[in-house]
Amino acid sequence: MHRSPAVVIFVLLLTTTVAPASQAAEKVWSGLVIAENVTEPQPIPSELTRIEGLLKKFFGYNQFKVIGQSQKTLKTGQEDWLATSKFFGLHVDARGETEGGYVLNLKLYKEKELLLETEAKLSKRSPLVIKGPQVGGGQLLLVLVVQ
Amino acid sequence: MKTFEENWTAWLDDQLSGRELSEFEAALPDKAAAQAEKAEAKKLGGLLKRELSARPLKNEEFFSHQLRERIVQESGEHPRERARRSPTSSWWTIPRLLWAGTASLAVFLICTVFVMHQERPPEESQYLTQILNARVDPVVSPNGTVSIFEVKQDRVTVLWTEGLQTLPADYAAK
Repeated sequence: MHRSPAVVIFVLLLTTTVAPASQAAEKVWSGLVIAENVTEPQPIPSELTRIEGLLKKFFGYNQFKVIGQSQKTLKTGQEDWLATSKFFGLHVDARGETEGGYVLNLKLYKEKELLLETEAKLSKRSPLVIKGPQVGGGQLLLVLVVQ
Repeated sequence: MKTFEENWTAWLDDQLSGRELSEFEAALPDKAAAQAEKAEAKKLGGLLKRELSARPLKNEEFFSHQLRERIVQESGEHPRERARRSPTSSWWTIPRLLWAGTASLAVFLICTVFVMHQERPPEESQYLTQILNARVDPVVSPNGTVSIFEVKQDRVTVLWTEGLQTLPADYAAK
């Protein structure tokens, strides 16, 4: 029976060595958000709760409403997708996975007009917020989060 | 009750005597042929004894020297070592292979952990999203500018734009 501890330890060590190699595909949530100051603010969408404090402090609004969103599962890190509202479109083009994140090319369109273009290395632990144009009394924000 | 073959073998070896001998010899169909066969068998037995007996060694001293050396060697060894060298025990048994594999993996993991600890921890900026480049369309927003803020406390990166055209509230529609 002295063989069994060796087998158990061997399997455990093998598992701990091999397990980290297999990683699950990750989801990137991208949203078009209108930030406004209203008398009775609606609760913040669940995707933004993690950065609620920062959004309120940094932009000075009390309500954040998602007007367009997309959730994309990245398998190769080369995918592209679009999050749209009635007038805006955010095109996200993933250009590969790096250590701890993805390189993304982002283009914000107002109808067919390109307003803003940026390239960012989106970290898996760190959301990206982009301040867009002023819309009425509020502000358009673009938010990208690796979930 | 002995069989004929048993009596025959005993007769060839002169093991029969008295009544047994006389009864057996009387039962033989051809006593002269049997006697001839017995003589042949004795001759063959003598020949085999002579030829198969141990031959005297010619290099007695050489062999005795080797034998003495072997005895000295073996008497100096631990009994456990002697048992280990026995043909029934092989070092690469399955449990030993398993232990060797486990030990190798453990050493590998220890080395990996050690090497990883030796490496410098990644800088804070690697945990934060990085803006590699950004531009606003100069035709649509000629006064547009961009700034980057890294809010380390919240681990959030903000790309702050100024000078983009202001749009009517209708554009907030879903």
